[in-house]
Amino acid sequence: MFSLFLQDAWKILLYSLVLGAGLPIVYTLGIRSLALGHGGSSEPEGGREASRSTIGRVLAVICFTLVLAGVALGLLYVVAAGQGKELSFDHIYPTMVPKS
Amino acid sequence: MSAQLLTLILVVVVALGFDFTNGFHDTGNSMATSIATGALKPKTAVALSAVLNLIGAFLSVEVAITVTNAVVNIQDSDGNPASSLTADHGSALLMIILAGLIGGILWNVGTWLLGLPSSSSHALFGGLIGATIAGIGWSGVNWTGDSTKLDGVLGKVVLPAVASPLIAAVVSMLGTWVIFRITRSLGEGLNGHGFRAGQIGSSSLMSLAHGTNDAQKTMGVITLALIGYGSWHDTTAIPLWVKVSCAASIALGTYLGGWRIIRTLGRGLVEIEPRQGMAAQGSAAAVILASSQLGLPLSTTHVATGAILGSGLGKPGATVRWGVARRMVAAWLITLPMAAGVGALTWYVGDLFGGGALGAVVMVALLVVLAGWMFLRSRREPINSDNVNDVWNATSTVVEPSEPVAA
Repeated sequence: MFSLFLQDAWKILLYSLVLGAGLPIVYTLGIRSLALGHGGSSEPEGGREASRSTIGRVLAVICFTLVLAGVALGLLYVVAAGQGKELSFDHIYPTMVPKS
Repeated sequence: MSAQLLTLILVVVVALGFDFTNGFHDTGNSMATSIATGALKPKTAVALSAVLNLIGAFLSVEVAITVTNAVVNIQDSDGNPASSLTADHGSALLMIILAGLIGGILWNVGTWLLGLPSSSSHALFGGLIGATIAGIGWSGVNWTGDSTKLDGVLGKVVLPAVASPLIAAVVSMLGTWVIFRITRSLGEGLNGHGFRAGQIGSSSLMSLAHGTNDAQKTMGVITLALIGYGSWHDTTAIPLWVKVSCAASIALGTYLGGWRIIRTLGRGLVEIEPRQGMAAQGSAAAVILASSQLGLPLSTTHVATGAILGSGLGKPGATVRWGVARRMVAAWLITLPMAAGVGALTWYVGDLFGGGALGAVVMVALLVVLAGWMFLRSRREPINSDNVNDVWNATSTVVEPSEPVAA
């Protein structure tokens, strides 16, 4: 019983680290990218709409897209679990399949 | 109306009442941090959470009729009630369910009065365990399952309860720490406004996950009662009206907002900044989604609290109010046995009055009186959307613990 439980707990910790800590960190990197071009240090006094570097913006868009994709995956998990199904990544993109 | 039908109606009403307390008890799990940081106005936050809980409750079409099997043996593995309990329109079964639900509600309302975020699932399971012990005996409880898989009180309640806050705290602590490293050179504006979207997004995901998880449990319990009475026979489906009423009742409870608990989670445990809020809710949502994917039922309350605590540990220089944390952990430890005690006592009271419709009426009257008393007690120091974010002051914010109100 305990070893069964530890196996599951270990997996939950692993998934959660990737999604639960990883995605917020990627989001943060996106925010950090927005501040690039200001000497990499801080936002200007004038407010957030002041000029931002192009590379910073591109990086930010990439980060936020990654986060949105992650959230979409999370939503898909919720829906799939609600339908009694699970997600399969056999086709790389996620598909709903009956629980094995 | 026959006596058994009256009992059945009382069971359904009380079950919906439990679902309602489940809603307002858990609003804070998803929304406390967003309210504390001002990412969402208090009223907006509870409204958003209520809508997402409602949607979540309907998203789940998986049948939860066997929900009680995790802890007690009052139904067979195929979902039908145990045959020893179904005589006389299942009145023995109805009494156990009713007493269990009352135990869960009273514990939920009591901990709400004290502003303590305890687990609604533990309260429900505890109540059912106590009522089962009173009604059938110790053999009626599924302590460990058959140990080939995680099952029973140990595998599905105790072990997850120990592990889930720890996992959530570790994930949230790491996330917070890294986020603060990355953003230490940024100004107030980006660190505040910049994280608003992330906070709202992660809180919303958490609300949705809550709706899919928790509304199910009450739907399963009501359907079990209907099968026991004999007015429903399909163990593979839940009646539509049960689904609609459960979803509505958990959403209504969420909208009411358990402000006392929101306050403890958002202001009492640690002082929360937007960056921490996002890290905490993100971790909590991930832990809940990961565990439901693996089929391990976790308490959203334990996960959310662990994550908020972790965000305090991960922020350089933050203080965690360990006194508040200790009271919470104490509440978690005693939730299951206390709810069990109340559930068992309620069953004995019902039994004293003959165990039939009269017993059921007395049990419900007891519930109304005690819950009403606790509600009135809460009016002495009301906490609502106006003062939920006031500065935390340990002496004036939460009703001091009084003697347990168990009947």
